[in-house]
Amino acid sequence: MFVQESIEEVALADRPERKKKLGILFWICVVWLLINLIAAVFANFLPIQNPLIQDYTAINSSPSWHHLFGTDDLGRDIFSRVVYGSRVSIEAGLGAMVIGFGLGAPLGMLAAYRRGKFDSILTMFMYIFLAFPAIIATIAILSFWTPRSLLKIIIVIGVASIPLVYRVIRTATLNVATKDYVIAAKVQGATDRRIMVKELLPNVAPIGVSFLLIGIATVVVLEGSLAFLGLSVNPPTPSWGNMINEARTILQVNPWLAIFPSLAMCLFLLCLNFIGDRLRSHFDVTESKL
Amino acid sequence: MSQSQQLLVVKDLATTFDTPLGPLPAVGGVSFNLNQNETLGIVGESGSGKTVLSRTIMGLQQRQNVTVTGSVLLNGFEVVGASEEEKRKIWGLEVAMIFQDPMTSLNPVMRIGKQIDEILRVRLGMDRKAAKARAIELLELVGISSPEERYSVFPGELSGGMRQRVVIATALAGSPKLLMADEPTTGLDVTIQAQILNLLEEIKTRMEMSVILVTHDLGVVATRTSRVIVMYAGRIVEIGTTRDVFSHHRMPYTRALLEGSPKVSNPSHTRLKAIPGRPPNLLDLAQGCSFAPRCSFATDRCRQERPELESAGTPGHSFACWNPLPTTRGASA
Repeated sequence: MFVQESIEEVALADRPERKKKLGILFWICVVWLLINLIAAVFANFLPIQNPLIQDYTAINSSPSWHHLFGTDDLGRDIFSRVVYGSRVSIEAGLGAMVIGFGLGAPLGMLAAYRRGKFDSILTMFMYIFLAFPAIIATIAILSFWTPRSLLKIIIVIGVASIPLVYRVIRTATLNVATKDYVIAAKVQGATDRRIMVKELLPNVAPIGVSFLLIGIATVVVLEGSLAFLGLSVNPPTPSWGNMINEARTILQVNPWLAIFPSLAMCLFLLCLNFIGDRLRSHFDVTESKL
Repeated sequence: MSQSQQLLVVKDLATTFDTPLGPLPAVGGVSFNLNQNETLGIVGESGSGKTVLSRTIMGLQQRQNVTVTGSVLLNGFEVVGASEEEKRKIWGLEVAMIFQDPMTSLNPVMRIGKQIDEILRVRLGMDRKAAKARAIELLELVGISSPEERYSVFPGELSGGMRQRVVIATALAGSPKLLMADEPTTGLDVTIQAQILNLLEEIKTRMEMSVILVTHDLGVVATRTSRVIVMYAGRIVEIGTTRDVFSHHRMPYTRALLEGSPKVSNPSHTRLKAIPGRPPNLLDLAQGCSFAPRCSFATDRCRQERPELESAGTPGHSFACWNPLPTTRGASA
């Protein structure tokens, strides 16, 4: 009787779970990112103040009911500037990754699947590209490529991210492309295109998605750094980075101007990284469920 | 045997890898035929060129640094020198392959049913419904219980033996005339091995296929093949009917292989005879017989001249040796 029960227990424990739980923290992060995204897209329609209007009666004020996060040295509402500032970060992150993945991922997959000369030459080219210090190159290009605009920043960062994406996707694909099931599909007469789409892509996608999220986070930081150096969007357009830059000079008078954009960026990045990490382990089929 | 019965004609097939250390002849000058509805075993130690041979016959090579010469005529189609596109026409429909490790030969993110009916839809042009019905039929054929439910599980939810059954079902989907099984049971435990081999045999008869069974396990080929090829260092050293090779072998290497595998009839605690030394380095093959350094019968001639295959007297039985074992024909083996 007792033995029977414990056998059933073991049998139950061994049964692969239909759905592995992602955890409450994962969903909190997703909700936070969605809030950020919606706020950034619909900022114009939200009942928040204009981020450019200067209120000289309330300069460097602390958080209050009227100004949730306080105001900056020109009397502009920090809350509304943080919300509008997220637009720049999100646009830069997504835009750059669209370019990086749009070119890097297909090339990486193709190179890993084809191998041969195509792979050797492309990989060598990418590694040369990679050896170049990206931040310095970005700063140099942006300093000379005037007038500055968000689009130019996105293009420069996006292009700089291509070899990184290429390397990650190529390695991930290499790992998959040598598996027997890819050869099996081939000897069943599947075309190269079919193998890429049906066999390689689904197996590379989990790594791609988590790298995408971490890539967005990296670009957000990079844009912040550029803004801090005054190389991002021109004032008075707010961005998290240039707000922190503005706060630098008045840190002792008005710490709120530095705290809130930093906090916003920090939470945003934390969520992205956490989601990316959870997704990676969630889709990791090699963590055997047998 | 008339020419028309022969499904596969391999002639002087050689596969050479171009390595930084020089050419490596993984398969050198192999010729044999395979009849329809025949099961042929290819045995040899690790590194004897079995797998390279079977992949060359399939027309599967790395795209670079490989030279293949000779001829592989598969049901009238010349595999050597054919482009990928041409080979794609025979892959799956004329010849299919089962791999060694069922854990890696199924796509982990695709439902098993989809992996089977893929070929049905793409290659045979079946519609979704017909393909699904056929896939379920195939699952049933390979002995998977409740195939309708299993159709939509992922490979990770199945055990090794079950996965190998699914792999076999995928290979059978295109009703190939030749099934290439490269160590199909090496990754499985012993009881499952027997089940899978019996299944292969049953299916072979039912679907009227020829099977090439590549293995290092003589026990596997003993009862299930009609003819056996023994390979050493990329060459055929003995070929004949399974009975001839097991009971009347002439090549010392074949005997060494047989002595190295356990038999039930032996008294318990019988020590297996290991073959001294190791397979030769293919990059640095001696002039003579490749087995000479490990052979207890080797003479100077063996080290100087390579023996060619010669007939052992009975039809179809040949061996390559200067000092063959005395024929045991007539005496009990």
